[in-house]
Amino acid sequence: MNQNKQSGFVKWLLITISVLFLFVMLVLPLLVVITQAFKSGVAAYLKAVTDKYTVRALLLTLEATLTAVVVNTIFGLFAAWTITKFKFKGKKLLTTLIDIPVTVSPVIAGLIFILLFGRQSLLYPILKACHIKVVFAVPGIILATVFVTFPFISRELIPVLETEGTDEEEAAALMGAGAFTIFRKITLPHIRWALLYGIVLCTARAMGEFGAVSVLSGHLRGLTNTLPLHVEILFNEFQYVPAFAVSSILVILAIILLVMRSVLEHKGKTTKKPL
Amino acid sequence: MYVELKDINKTYAGYQASNHVSFGIEQGRLIALLGPSGSGKTTILRMIAGLETPDSGEIVIDGKVVNNIPASERGIGFVFQNYALFRYMTVYDNIAFGLNVKKENKKYIDERVHELLKLISLDGLEKRYPSQLSGGQRQRVAFARALAPNPHLLLLDEPFAAIDAKVRQELRSWLKEMIEKLGITSIFVTHDQDEAIEVADEIIITNKGHIEQKGTPLEIYQNPQTAFAATFFGQTSQITNYQSFHSFPKVDNVDKAIIRPEFVKVSKKNEVQRFGPSASEGVVERVSFRGDSLELLVNVNDNQIIAKRGLEEKSIAVGEKVDVFIYRLFVTVGEKAMLLENQSLVDDSVFI
Repeated sequence: MNQNKQSGFVKWLLITISVLFLFVMLVLPLLVVITQAFKSGVAAYLKAVTDKYTVRALLLTLEATLTAVVVNTIFGLFAAWTITKFKFKGKKLLTTLIDIPVTVSPVIAGLIFILLFGRQSLLYPILKACHIKVVFAVPGIILATVFVTFPFISRELIPVLETEGTDEEEAAALMGAGAFTIFRKITLPHIRWALLYGIVLCTARAMGEFGAVSVLSGHLRGLTNTLPLHVEILFNEFQYVPAFAVSSILVILAIILLVMRSVLEHKGKTTKKPL
Repeated sequence: MYVELKDINKTYAGYQASNHVSFGIEQGRLIALLGPSGSGKTTILRMIAGLETPDSGEIVIDGKVVNNIPASERGIGFVFQNYALFRYMTVYDNIAFGLNVKKENKKYIDERVHELLKLISLDGLEKRYPSQLSGGQRQRVAFARALAPNPHLLLLDEPFAAIDAKVRQELRSWLKEMIEKLGITSIFVTHDQDEAIEVADEIIITNKGHIEQKGTPLEIYQNPQTAFAATFFGQTSQITNYQSFHSFPKVDNVDKAIIRPEFVKVSKKNEVQRFGPSASEGVVERVSFRGDSLELLVNVNDNQIIAKRGLEEKSIAVGEKVDVFIYRLFVTVGEKAMLLENQSLVDDSVFI
């Protein structure tokens, strides 16, 4: 009885702490964003959101995100497949390398690309001769976004593929199925939910990327400005209402992704058939 | 020979899984690859299937060297140890998979799947998923799936290992019957000697990556050629000093003698013992009931010998002094095994 009472107390204490913490750290800032965005009325909000530069920034963000997701989906599938289905030397090393982007600070990632493709780089004359501009241009932003988000999908897939084993693929191969058929009919159904979940995480991370993109972008308004960078510029210019209005776009996109994530997680759990 | 392995070697990271393996299998036979775990039997099976590549040696199927033919083109049916059914496909789609891959026409596929469903007595369950089937049903689906494209050779990796004892018994007879009916050359891997004896036409005993012996179950049982083959079957007693028993011929350099329970006759002191003079005295150390018989552990001259005694015979108590007569035994010299008959039987032929 005493034990029950005590654990009941602990339970409520922990719940209270968690809720308070979440409220102060997450809910309050979100509320501030929304209230600040609408402080000067709906008209001002709409004006800020439909501003030419905001729309350009939104489009650039979506472009970089889409490219990163497509590239990383393909790369993630290949990497996860390679790591789980084959035995080879240097497998551990490859697995570790995939994790570099999550451990290295994005700012440093940005600087690496500046050094690699910028004026002082050995590659620069070649790039210039081919009329390819990476630094302070859209390719640089896309590159940075791809770099920062590339572990997300492969990291989701590897554990799923690992627990699955290779028997079913072997069985299909023995019956004469080609690699693509095996992937489509056997592997894909297994990893479907993990893959979608990885895509959602990758999208969220790509949309919010600031550090690496900031270094490579050059902050050319209307040209190389993504939404997070645009928010920063507006904020530094003391344009608080537009800054918060643009932020609210990112918040809304994030909420959509969160909902998608929950739905996917739920679906992934309920459709998983035990062996 | 329909399937032939010629001097196959295979090493995994320093471990010799196949060591100069050579054997041949005739068409239409049901073969068991029998051996303890780690003896290389599954490796042999996977190399025949094309899932592994031998380091050296040739694999010949139906007169063709298949070393460089990929698994998918060998036309082999394979039943995996854990069945490896496609868990996101229905029973129907599982069985139809191989036919779909071959782009057979829909009508033929439908007929073939239903024919196989009937064969494995699972008609009506074609819409189920593997997770909704019992172990025995999954096994049968795996069997049907492997058979669907009409393979010429069927390979089964520990086909009964994952099934509980009672169903296993049923499935064994079912599988044997099925394979005989279809006349398909089949090789199955097992570590269970009873299973091999009961199901297979021929047994190939593997040990530490090489073949110990190949023959019919009866041949291997009656005439094991190696020490390993002699000990692997049945519940044997091993003694070092067989000369302590009377009337066995002397052989040089014997390492040990192996005695099967059915080679031993235990009689009570007051019973008539036909070969009285050749029997030795022993003390019963343990009596266990084995369902259809009693199992006795008898100590004779400090050798522990396991013997069987019928339930209809007079009961024997622990501690009782008994006469032990041994009809025959195997002696091993190095890797070789040979059968020694008790000399007092030479005139009288008494067999089990």
